Amino acid sequence: MGKIFDPEFMIRSFPEVLQALPTTLFIAFVSGVIGLVIAFIISFIRYANIKILSPLAKVYISFIRGTPDLVQIMLVYYGIPLFLKAINEKFGTSFDVNGVPSIAFAIIALAINAGAYMSETMRSSLLAVDSGQLEACYSVNMTRFQALRKVIIPQTIGIAIPPLSNSLISLIKETSLVFTISIVDIMAQAKIVGARSFRFFEIYIVVSIIYWVVCAVVAFALSKVEVYARRYERKVDS
Amino acid sequence: MIQLENITKSYKKNHVLNNINLTISKGEVVTLIGPSGAGKTTLLRLLNWLEVPDSGKITVADAAIDAAKYTKHDVRNLRGQSSMVFQHYNLFKNRTVLENVADSLIVVSKMKKKDAFEKAEALLKKVGMSDKLLDYPANLSGGQQQRVGIARALAVDPKVMLFDEPTSALDPEWVGEILHLIKEIAAQGMTMILVSHEMRFVRSVATRIIFLEHGELVEDSNPKDLFEKSKNVRTQAFLQKLTYEEE
Ligand SMILES: Nc1ncnc2c1ncn2[C@@H]1O[C@H](COP(=O)(O)OP(=O)(O)O)[C@@H](O)[C@H]1O
Ligand SMILES: [Mg+2]
Repeated sequence: MGKIFDPEFMIRSFPEVLQALPTTLFIAFVSGVIGLVIAFIISFIRYANIKILSPLAKVYISFIRGTPDLVQIMLVYYGIPLFLKAINEKFGTSFDVNGVPSIAFAIIALAINAGAYMSETMRSSLLAVDSGQLEACYSVNMTRFQALRKVIIPQTIGIAIPPLSNSLISLIKETSLVFTISIVDIMAQAKIVGARSFRFFEIYIVVSIIYWVVCAVVAFALSKVEVYARRYERKVDS
Repeated sequence: MIQLENITKSYKKNHVLNNINLTISKGEVVTLIGPSGAGKTTLLRLLNWLEVPDSGKITVADAAIDAAKYTKHDVRNLRGQSSMVFQHYNLFKNRTVLENVADSLIVVSKMKKKDAFEKAEALLKKVGMSDKLLDYPANLSGGQQQRVGIARALAVDPKVMLFDEPTSALDPEWVGEILHLIKEIAAQGMTMILVSHEMRFVRSVATRIIFLEHGELVEDSNPKDLFEKSKNVRTQAFLQKLTYEEE
Protein backbone atom coordinates (compact mmCIF):
# COMPACT_ATOMS: atom_id res chain seq x y z
CA MET A 1 0.00 0.00 0.00
CA GLY A 2 2.81 2.43 0.69
CA LYS A 3 1.84 5.91 1.67
CA ILE A 4 -0.82 6.62 4.31
CA PHE A 5 -2.09 9.57 2.32
CA ASP A 6 -1.45 9.97 -1.39
CA PRO A 7 -1.91 13.59 -2.52
CA GLU A 8 -0.69 12.79 -5.99
CA PHE A 9 -3.40 10.18 -6.50
CA MET A 10 -5.87 12.67 -5.21
CA ILE A 11 -4.94 15.27 -7.76
CA ARG A 12 -4.84 12.69 -10.54
CA SER A 13 -8.36 11.58 -9.69
CA PHE A 14 -10.00 14.94 -10.18
CA PRO A 15 -10.63 14.58 -13.92
CA GLU A 16 -12.21 11.18 -13.57
CA VAL A 17 -14.56 12.27 -10.81
CA LEU A 18 -15.34 15.48 -12.68
CA GLN A 19 -16.60 13.40 -15.61
CA ALA A 20 -19.77 12.89 -13.59
CA LEU A 21 -20.19 16.56 -12.68
CA PRO A 22 -22.56 17.30 -15.59
CA THR A 23 -24.92 14.62 -14.26
CA THR A 24 -24.88 16.15 -10.80
CA LEU A 25 -25.40 19.66 -12.16
CA PHE A 26 -28.12 18.52 -14.52
CA ILE A 27 -30.08 16.84 -11.74
CA ALA A 28 -29.64 19.81 -9.43
CA PHE A 29 -30.57 22.36 -12.07
CA VAL A 30 -33.64 20.60 -13.47
CA SER A 31 -35.02 19.61 -10.08
CA GLY A 32 -34.28 23.12 -8.84
CA VAL A 33 -36.29 24.70 -11.64
CA ILE A 34 -39.19 22.26 -11.25
CA GLY A 35 -38.99 22.75 -7.49
CA LEU A 36 -39.30 26.51 -7.97
CA VAL A 37 -42.38 26.09 -10.12
CA ILE A 38 -43.93 23.79 -7.52
CA ALA A 39 -42.98 26.27 -4.80
CA PHE A 40 -44.54 29.14 -6.71
CA ILE A 41 -47.84 27.31 -7.11
CA ILE A 42 -47.93 26.00 -3.56
CA SER A 43 -47.02 29.32 -1.99
CA PHE A 44 -49.87 31.02 -3.85
CA ILE A 45 -52.31 28.35 -2.86
CA ARG A 46 -51.32 29.01 0.73
CA TYR A 47 -51.09 32.81 0.37
CA ALA A 48 -54.54 33.05 -1.18
CA ASN A 49 -55.77 30.36 1.19
CA ILE A 50 -57.56 28.42 -1.53
CA LYS A 51 -60.14 25.97 -0.21
CA ILE A 52 -59.24 22.26 -0.09
CA LEU A 53 -55.91 22.85 -1.86
CA SER A 54 -54.45 24.89 0.97
CA PRO A 55 -54.79 22.16 3.63
CA LEU A 56 -53.50 19.61 1.13
CA ALA A 57 -50.46 21.80 0.54
CA LYS A 58 -49.88 21.90 4.27
CA VAL A 59 -49.93 18.10 4.48
CA TYR A 60 -47.48 17.90 1.58
CA ILE A 61 -45.04 20.29 3.24
CA SER A 62 -45.35 18.58 6.59
CA PHE A 63 -44.72 15.16 5.00
CA ILE A 64 -41.63 16.30 3.12
CA ARG A 65 -40.24 17.99 6.20
CA GLY A 66 -40.96 15.00 8.38
CA THR A 67 -39.41 12.23 6.29
CA PRO A 68 -35.76 11.64 5.31
CA ASP A 69 -34.70 12.67 1.82
CA LEU A 70 -33.42 9.17 1.13
CA VAL A 71 -36.78 7.64 2.00
CA GLN A 72 -38.49 10.08 -0.37
CA ILE A 73 -36.19 9.04 -3.19
CA MET A 74 -37.02 5.40 -2.50
CA LEU A 75 -40.73 6.11 -2.42
CA VAL A 76 -40.54 7.75 -5.84
CA TYR A 77 -38.23 5.08 -7.24
CA TYR A 78 -40.47 2.20 -6.22
CA GLY A 79 -43.76 4.04 -6.24
CA ILE A 80 -43.87 5.52 -9.72
CA PRO A 81 -43.49 2.20 -11.56
CA LEU A 82 -46.32 0.75 -9.48
CA PHE A 83 -48.39 3.81 -10.24
CA LEU A 84 -47.74 3.49 -13.99
CA LYS A 85 -48.60 -0.18 -13.83
CA ALA A 86 -51.90 0.59 -12.15
CA ILE A 87 -52.69 3.17 -14.81
CA ASN A 88 -51.84 0.69 -17.55
CA GLU A 89 -54.20 -1.88 -16.07
CA LYS A 90 -56.99 0.58 -15.47
CA PHE A 91 -56.91 2.55 -18.71
CA GLY A 92 -55.25 0.07 -21.04
CA THR A 93 -52.35 2.43 -21.68
CA SER A 94 -48.93 0.98 -22.29
CA PHE A 95 -46.39 3.01 -20.41
CA ASP A 96 -43.05 1.26 -20.32
CA VAL A 97 -42.89 0.64 -16.60
CA ASN A 98 -39.28 -0.47 -16.59
CA GLY A 99 -38.11 2.01 -19.18
CA VAL A 100 -38.20 5.13 -17.03
CA PRO A 101 -34.61 6.31 -16.64
CA SER A 102 -33.39 6.49 -13.06
CA ILE A 103 -32.47 10.10 -13.51
CA ALA A 104 -36.14 10.95 -13.96
CA PHE A 105 -36.93 9.43 -10.57
CA ALA A 106 -34.10 11.39 -9.02
CA ILE A 107 -35.33 14.64 -10.51
CA ILE A 108 -38.93 14.04 -9.51
CA ALA A 109 -38.01 13.13 -5.94
CA LEU A 110 -35.64 16.05 -5.47
CA ALA A 111 -38.02 18.52 -7.12
CA ILE A 112 -40.87 17.46 -4.84
CA ASN A 113 -38.54 17.80 -1.89
CA ALA A 114 -37.10 21.17 -2.84
CA GLY A 115 -40.56 22.47 -3.83
CA ALA A 116 -41.85 21.97 -0.31
CA TYR A 117 -39.01 23.82 1.34
CA MET A 118 -38.93 26.62 -1.21
CA SER A 119 -42.70 27.13 -1.02
CA GLU A 120 -42.38 27.87 2.67
CA THR A 121 -39.64 30.36 1.89
CA MET A 122 -41.73 32.07 -0.75
CA ARG A 123 -44.82 32.18 1.40
CA SER A 124 -43.01 33.79 4.29
CA SER A 125 -41.34 36.22 1.89
CA LEU A 126 -44.72 37.17 0.43
CA LEU A 127 -45.99 37.79 3.94
CA ALA A 128 -42.88 39.80 4.76
CA VAL A 129 -43.76 42.45 2.18
CA ASP A 130 -45.22 45.41 4.08
CA SER A 131 -49.03 45.27 3.99
CA GLY A 132 -49.08 49.00 3.19
CA GLN A 133 -47.72 48.14 -0.26
CA LEU A 134 -50.78 46.09 -1.16
CA GLU A 135 -53.07 48.74 0.30
CA ALA A 136 -51.41 51.42 -1.78
CA CYS A 137 -52.03 49.28 -4.87
CA TYR A 138 -55.68 48.90 -3.95
CA SER A 139 -55.97 52.63 -3.26
CA VAL A 140 -55.16 53.37 -6.89
CA ASN A 141 -57.57 50.62 -7.90
CA MET A 142 -55.18 47.90 -8.99
CA THR A 143 -56.51 44.34 -8.83
CA ARG A 144 -54.82 41.82 -6.61
CA PHE A 145 -53.18 40.29 -9.66
CA GLN A 146 -51.83 43.64 -10.87
CA ALA A 147 -50.55 44.42 -7.40
CA LEU A 148 -48.77 41.09 -7.19
CA ARG A 149 -47.18 41.52 -10.58
CA LYS A 150 -46.00 45.11 -10.28
CA VAL A 151 -45.23 45.48 -6.62
CA ILE A 152 -45.57 42.46 -4.37
CA ILE A 153 -43.75 39.74 -6.30
CA PRO A 154 -40.73 41.87 -7.23
CA GLN A 155 -40.30 42.74 -3.56
CA THR A 156 -40.87 39.12 -2.56
CA ILE A 157 -38.06 38.01 -4.82
CA GLY A 158 -35.65 40.41 -3.19
CA ILE A 159 -36.57 39.03 0.21
CA ALA A 160 -36.62 35.39 -0.89
CA ILE A 161 -33.30 35.11 -2.68
CA PRO A 162 -31.03 34.49 0.32
CA PRO A 163 -33.15 31.65 1.76
CA LEU A 164 -33.81 30.27 -1.74
CA SER A 165 -30.08 30.27 -2.30
CA ASN A 166 -29.75 28.12 0.81
CA SER A 167 -32.39 25.72 -0.50
CA LEU A 168 -30.61 25.45 -3.81
CA ILE A 169 -27.35 24.65 -2.08
CA SER A 170 -29.06 21.99 0.03
CA LEU A 171 -30.43 20.57 -3.18
CA ILE A 172 -27.00 20.37 -4.76
CA LYS A 173 -25.78 18.48 -1.76
CA GLU A 174 -28.80 16.20 -1.72
CA THR A 175 -28.02 15.05 -5.24
CA SER A 176 -25.29 13.00 -3.56
CA LEU A 177 -28.05 10.58 -2.53
CA VAL A 178 -28.99 9.59 -6.04
CA PHE A 179 -26.21 7.01 -6.31
CA THR A 180 -28.59 4.83 -4.26
CA ILE A 181 -30.78 4.44 -7.32
CA SER A 182 -27.78 3.63 -9.50
CA ILE A 183 -27.18 7.01 -11.08
CA VAL A 184 -23.52 7.84 -11.67
CA ASP A 185 -23.21 11.33 -10.25
CA ILE A 186 -19.93 12.59 -8.78
CA MET A 187 -20.62 10.70 -5.58
CA ALA A 188 -21.12 7.40 -7.40
CA GLN A 189 -18.13 8.12 -9.59
CA ALA A 190 -16.06 8.69 -6.47
CA LYS A 191 -17.13 5.37 -5.05
CA ILE A 192 -16.09 3.65 -8.27
CA VAL A 193 -12.68 5.28 -8.36
CA GLY A 194 -12.21 4.75 -4.66
CA ALA A 195 -13.10 1.08 -4.79
CA ARG A 196 -10.60 0.51 -7.55
CA SER A 197 -7.73 2.09 -5.66
CA PHE A 198 -8.81 1.59 -2.05
CA ARG A 199 -7.97 5.23 -1.47
CA PHE A 200 -11.41 6.31 -0.26
CA PHE A 201 -10.22 9.15 1.94
CA GLU A 202 -8.40 10.91 -0.88
CA ILE A 203 -11.30 10.46 -3.20
CA TYR A 204 -13.79 11.85 -0.73
CA ILE A 205 -11.59 14.88 -0.33
CA VAL A 206 -11.82 15.28 -4.09
CA VAL A 207 -15.62 15.05 -4.01
CA SER A 208 -15.93 17.43 -1.11
CA ILE A 209 -13.79 20.01 -2.87
CA ILE A 210 -15.96 19.73 -5.98
CA TYR A 211 -19.19 20.16 -4.00
CA TRP A 212 -17.66 23.03 -2.10
CA VAL A 213 -16.59 24.89 -5.21
CA VAL A 214 -19.92 24.35 -6.94
CA CYS A 215 -21.88 25.53 -3.91
CA ALA A 216 -19.62 28.53 -3.41
CA VAL A 217 -20.01 29.59 -7.04
CA VAL A 218 -23.80 29.25 -6.85
CA ALA A 219 -23.94 31.21 -3.59
CA PHE A 220 -21.79 33.95 -5.06
CA ALA A 221 -23.85 34.20 -8.24
CA LEU A 222 -27.09 34.39 -6.28
CA SER A 223 -25.71 37.07 -3.99
CA LYS A 224 -25.11 39.16 -7.11
CA VAL A 225 -28.68 38.51 -8.24
CA GLU A 226 -29.87 39.58 -4.81
CA VAL A 227 -28.04 42.87 -5.05
CA TYR A 228 -29.80 43.49 -8.35
CA ALA A 229 -33.21 42.44 -7.05
CA ARG A 230 -32.87 44.81 -4.10
CA ARG A 231 -31.36 47.70 -6.04
CA TYR A 232 -34.21 49.98 -4.97
CA GLU A 233 -33.32 49.80 -1.31
CA ARG A 234 -31.46 52.56 0.39
CA LYS A 235 -27.81 52.53 -0.43
CA VAL A 236 -25.59 52.52 2.60
CA ASP A 237 -22.74 54.93 2.08
CA SER A 238 -19.46 53.22 2.64
CA MET B 1 -71.07 62.87 -3.07
CA ILE B 2 -70.26 60.68 -0.09
CA GLN B 3 -72.73 58.92 2.09
CA LEU B 4 -72.28 56.48 4.92
CA GLU B 5 -75.39 54.75 6.16
CA ASN B 6 -75.49 52.79 9.40
CA ILE B 7 -71.86 51.81 9.18
CA THR B 8 -70.55 49.56 11.93
CA LYS B 9 -67.15 48.02 12.23
CA SER B 10 -65.59 46.00 15.00
CA TYR B 11 -62.47 43.93 15.48
CA LYS B 12 -63.56 41.01 17.61
CA LYS B 13 -65.10 42.67 20.67
CA ASN B 14 -63.61 46.08 19.95
CA HIS B 15 -66.40 48.21 18.48
CA VAL B 16 -64.47 50.70 16.38
CA LEU B 17 -67.34 52.39 14.56
CA ASN B 18 -70.88 52.42 15.92
CA ASN B 19 -73.67 53.02 13.45
CA ILE B 20 -72.10 55.94 11.61
CA ASN B 21 -74.29 58.10 9.39
CA LEU B 22 -72.62 60.84 7.42
CA THR B 23 -73.25 62.80 4.25
CA ILE B 24 -70.62 64.90 2.53
CA SER B 25 -71.24 67.12 -0.47
CA LYS B 26 -69.08 67.83 -3.46
CA GLY B 27 -66.28 70.28 -2.79
CA GLU B 28 -66.36 69.95 0.98
CA VAL B 29 -63.08 69.67 2.84
CA VAL B 30 -63.93 67.61 5.88
CA THR B 31 -61.45 67.18 8.68
CA LEU B 32 -61.72 64.33 11.13
CA ILE B 33 -60.23 64.93 14.52
CA GLY B 34 -60.27 62.81 17.63
CA PRO B 35 -58.07 60.91 20.04
CA SER B 36 -55.89 58.04 18.98
CA GLY B 37 -57.95 54.89 18.55
CA ALA B 38 -61.16 56.82 17.89
CA GLY B 39 -61.63 55.13 14.52
CA LYS B 40 -60.52 57.92 12.18
CA THR B 41 -58.21 55.75 10.10
CA THR B 42 -60.76 52.97 9.98
CA LEU B 43 -63.42 55.38 8.72
CA LEU B 44 -61.16 56.59 5.90
CA ARG B 45 -60.11 53.09 4.94
CA LEU B 46 -63.72 51.96 4.63
CA LEU B 47 -64.25 54.47 1.86
CA ASN B 48 -61.53 52.77 -0.16
CA TRP B 49 -62.65 49.32 0.95
CA LEU B 50 -59.27 48.66 2.52
CA GLU B 51 -61.42 47.75 5.49
CA VAL B 52 -64.75 46.00 5.10
CA PRO B 53 -67.55 47.22 7.36
CA ASP B 54 -69.61 44.67 9.28
CA SER B 55 -72.77 46.31 8.02
CA GLY B 56 -74.04 49.43 6.33
CA LYS B 57 -73.95 51.15 2.97
CA ILE B 58 -71.33 53.40 1.46
CA THR B 59 -71.75 55.71 -1.49
CA VAL B 60 -68.83 57.56 -3.03
CA ALA B 61 -69.58 59.62 -6.12
CA ASP B 62 -70.87 57.18 -8.75
CA ALA B 63 -70.40 54.02 -6.72
CA ALA B 64 -72.52 52.46 -4.02
CA ILE B 65 -71.81 49.36 -2.05
CA ASP B 66 -73.65 47.45 0.64
CA ALA B 67 -71.62 45.44 3.14
CA ALA B 68 -74.35 42.82 3.20
CA LYS B 69 -74.07 42.01 -0.46
CA TYR B 70 -71.40 43.11 -2.88
CA THR B 71 -69.31 41.85 -5.76
CA LYS B 72 -65.69 42.29 -6.78
CA HIS B 73 -66.95 44.66 -9.41
CA ASP B 74 -68.62 46.83 -6.75
CA VAL B 75 -65.34 47.01 -4.84
CA ARG B 76 -63.35 48.10 -7.86
CA ASN B 77 -65.98 50.59 -8.80
CA LEU B 78 -65.88 52.08 -5.31
CA ARG B 79 -62.10 52.21 -5.24
CA GLY B 80 -62.13 53.92 -8.61
CA GLN B 81 -63.82 56.98 -7.10
CA SER B 82 -61.26 57.92 -4.50
CA SER B 83 -57.60 57.72 -3.69
CA MET B 84 -55.67 57.76 -0.48
CA VAL B 85 -52.61 59.53 0.85
CA PHE B 86 -51.12 57.47 3.65
CA GLN B 87 -49.54 58.46 6.93
CA HIS B 88 -46.44 56.43 6.11
CA TYR B 89 -46.53 57.28 2.38
CA ASN B 90 -46.60 53.60 1.30
CA LEU B 91 -44.83 54.36 -1.95
CA PHE B 92 -44.09 51.28 -4.05
CA LYS B 93 -40.59 50.57 -2.82
CA ASN B 94 -39.46 48.75 -5.93
CA ARG B 95 -40.67 51.44 -8.34
CA THR B 96 -39.10 54.76 -9.21
CA VAL B 97 -40.79 58.05 -8.42
CA LEU B 98 -42.07 58.28 -11.98
CA GLU B 99 -43.33 54.68 -11.99
CA ASN B 100 -45.05 55.18 -8.66
CA VAL B 101 -47.25 57.76 -10.29
CA ALA B 102 -47.51 56.22 -13.75
CA ASP B 103 -48.17 52.58 -12.79
CA SER B 104 -51.87 52.98 -12.08
CA LEU B 105 -52.29 54.90 -15.33
CA ILE B 106 -50.72 52.07 -17.27
CA VAL B 107 -52.20 49.02 -15.58
CA VAL B 108 -55.53 50.40 -14.36
CA SER B 109 -56.44 53.17 -16.79
CA LYS B 110 -54.72 51.33 -19.68
CA MET B 111 -53.05 54.49 -20.92
CA LYS B 112 -50.22 54.21 -23.41
CA LYS B 113 -46.88 54.21 -21.62
CA LYS B 114 -45.75 57.40 -23.23
CA ASP B 115 -48.91 59.27 -22.29
CA ALA B 116 -48.85 57.84 -18.79
CA PHE B 117 -45.29 58.98 -18.22
CA GLU B 118 -46.11 62.40 -19.60
CA LYS B 119 -49.05 62.80 -17.28
CA ALA B 120 -47.01 61.48 -14.35
CA GLU B 121 -44.22 63.89 -15.11
CA ALA B 122 -46.61 66.82 -15.21
CA LEU B 123 -48.07 65.83 -11.84
CA LEU B 124 -44.63 65.40 -10.34
CA LYS B 125 -43.73 68.82 -11.60
CA LYS B 126 -46.80 70.21 -9.91
CA VAL B 127 -45.69 68.75 -6.56
CA GLY B 128 -42.12 69.89 -7.11
CA MET B 129 -40.49 66.52 -7.69
CA SER B 130 -39.29 66.92 -11.26
CA ASP B 131 -35.65 66.41 -10.39
CA LYS B 132 -36.14 63.01 -8.74
CA LEU B 133 -38.10 61.12 -11.38
CA LEU B 134 -35.78 58.14 -11.53
CA ASP B 135 -34.99 57.86 -7.83
CA TYR B 136 -36.33 55.08 -5.66
CA PRO B 137 -38.44 56.05 -2.62
CA ALA B 138 -35.80 54.84 -0.15
CA ASN B 139 -33.52 57.63 -1.31
CA LEU B 140 -36.03 60.41 -0.70
CA SER B 141 -36.77 62.40 2.44
CA GLY B 142 -40.13 61.95 4.13
CA GLY B 143 -41.42 65.20 2.70
CA GLN B 144 -40.39 64.22 -0.81
CA GLN B 145 -42.00 60.80 -0.42
CA GLN B 146 -45.25 62.35 0.68
CA ARG B 147 -45.22 64.70 -2.31
CA VAL B 148 -44.90 61.66 -4.55
CA GLY B 149 -47.69 60.02 -2.57
CA ILE B 150 -49.90 63.00 -3.32
CA ALA B 151 -48.99 62.94 -7.02
CA ARG B 152 -49.79 59.22 -7.14
CA ALA B 153 -53.16 59.86 -5.54
CA LEU B 154 -53.90 62.70 -7.98
CA ALA B 155 -52.96 60.60 -11.00
CA VAL B 156 -56.09 58.50 -10.93
CA ASP B 157 -58.26 61.64 -11.23
CA PRO B 158 -60.10 60.88 -8.01
CA LYS B 159 -63.42 62.46 -7.22
CA VAL B 160 -62.51 62.30 -3.57
CA MET B 161 -59.14 62.39 -1.87
CA LEU B 162 -58.54 60.79 1.49
CA PHE B 163 -55.63 61.94 3.65
CA ASP B 164 -54.74 59.98 6.75
CA GLU B 165 -52.51 62.15 8.93
CA PRO B 166 -50.37 63.04 5.91
CA THR B 167 -47.85 65.05 7.93
CA SER B 168 -47.69 63.24 11.24
CA ALA B 169 -44.75 61.05 10.26
CA LEU B 170 -42.78 63.97 8.84
CA ASP B 171 -39.92 65.87 10.37
CA PRO B 172 -41.20 69.34 11.30
CA GLU B 173 -39.35 71.12 8.51
CA TRP B 174 -41.36 69.27 5.84
CA VAL B 175 -44.81 69.72 7.34
CA GLY B 176 -45.44 73.18 6.00
CA GLU B 177 -44.85 72.44 2.36
CA ILE B 178 -47.07 69.34 2.39
CA LEU B 179 -49.88 71.24 4.06
CA HIS B 180 -49.42 73.99 1.51
CA LEU B 181 -49.74 71.46 -1.30
CA ILE B 182 -52.91 69.99 0.18
CA LYS B 183 -54.34 73.46 0.51
CA GLU B 184 -53.67 74.12 -3.15
CA ILE B 185 -55.49 70.96 -4.14
CA ALA B 186 -58.39 71.91 -1.89
CA ALA B 187 -58.50 75.35 -3.49
CA GLN B 188 -59.07 73.70 -6.87
CA GLY B 189 -62.33 72.28 -5.58
CA MET B 190 -61.32 68.74 -4.67
CA THR B 191 -63.61 66.96 -2.24
CA MET B 192 -61.47 65.79 0.65
CA ILE B 193 -61.62 63.94 3.88
CA LEU B 194 -58.61 64.62 5.97
CA VAL B 195 -57.41 63.34 9.30
CA SER B 196 -55.13 65.97 10.78
CA HIS B 197 -54.34 67.59 14.06
CA GLU B 198 -52.43 70.52 12.57
CA MET B 199 -54.96 72.88 14.01
CA ARG B 200 -53.91 76.09 12.30
CA PHE B 201 -54.01 74.32 8.97
CA VAL B 202 -57.33 72.69 9.74
CA ARG B 203 -58.85 76.04 10.61
CA SER B 204 -57.73 77.55 7.34
CA VAL B 205 -58.56 74.71 4.98
CA ALA B 206 -61.51 72.81 6.42
CA THR B 207 -65.06 73.70 5.49
CA ARG B 208 -66.31 71.24 8.05
CA ILE B 209 -64.87 69.51 11.03
CA ILE B 210 -65.98 66.32 12.70
CA PHE B 211 -64.94 65.20 16.13
CA LEU B 212 -64.86 61.44 16.44
CA GLU B 213 -64.52 59.61 19.72
CA HIS B 214 -65.01 55.93 20.61
CA GLY B 215 -66.39 55.28 17.16
CA GLU B 216 -69.09 57.94 17.37
CA LEU B 217 -69.51 61.29 15.64
CA VAL B 218 -69.55 63.50 18.69
CA GLU B 219 -69.70 66.83 16.92
CA ASP B 220 -70.04 67.93 13.32
CA SER B 221 -69.64 71.63 12.69
CA ASN B 222 -67.72 74.35 10.88
CA PRO B 223 -64.22 75.04 12.21
CA LYS B 224 -64.96 78.43 13.71
CA ASP B 225 -67.93 77.24 15.70
CA LEU B 226 -66.23 74.07 16.81
CA PHE B 227 -63.05 75.73 17.92
CA GLU B 228 -64.61 78.77 19.52
CA LYS B 229 -68.09 77.95 20.65
CA SER B 230 -68.35 74.22 21.13
CA LYS B 231 -70.58 73.44 24.06
CA ASN B 232 -69.80 69.77 23.97
CA VAL B 233 -67.75 68.78 27.00
CA ARG B 234 -66.01 65.94 25.17
CA THR B 235 -64.96 68.23 22.34
CA GLN B 236 -63.77 70.83 24.79
CA ALA B 237 -61.74 68.32 26.73
CA PHE B 238 -60.09 67.06 23.56
CA LEU B 239 -59.30 70.53 22.22
CA GLN B 240 -57.88 71.55 25.55
CA LYS B 241 -55.50 68.62 25.46
CA LEU B 242 -54.44 69.50 21.93
CA THR B 243 -53.67 73.14 22.74
CA TYR B 244 -51.80 72.05 25.80
CA GLU B 245 -49.63 69.79 23.66
CA GLU B 246 -49.02 72.52 21.11
CA GLU B 247 -47.68 74.95 23.68
N1 LIG C 1 -56.46 45.56 11.73
C1 LIG C 1 -56.89 45.76 12.99
N2 LIG C 1 -57.09 44.72 13.81
C2 LIG C 1 -57.54 44.92 15.08
N3 LIG C 1 -57.82 46.10 15.60
C3 LIG C 1 -57.65 47.19 14.83
C4 LIG C 1 -57.18 47.08 13.48
N4 LIG C 1 -57.10 48.31 12.95
C5 LIG C 1 -57.51 49.16 13.92
N5 LIG C 1 -57.85 48.49 15.04
C6 LIG C 1 -58.37 49.09 16.29
O1 LIG C 1 -59.42 49.93 15.95
C7 LIG C 1 -59.45 51.08 16.77
C8 LIG C 1 -59.47 52.33 15.90
O2 LIG C 1 -58.27 52.42 15.17
P1 LIG C 1 -57.98 53.58 14.14
O3 LIG C 1 -59.11 53.66 13.18
O4 LIG C 1 -56.64 53.34 13.60
O5 LIG C 1 -58.00 54.85 15.09
P2 LIG C 1 -57.39 56.29 14.84
O6 LIG C 1 -56.97 56.40 13.41
O7 LIG C 1 -58.51 57.19 15.18
O8 LIG C 1 -56.26 56.43 15.79
C9 LIG C 1 -58.22 50.99 17.66
O9 LIG C 1 -58.66 50.52 18.91
C10 LIG C 1 -57.36 49.98 16.98
O10 LIG C 1 -56.62 49.26 17.93
MG1 LIG D 1 -55.04 56.76 12.61
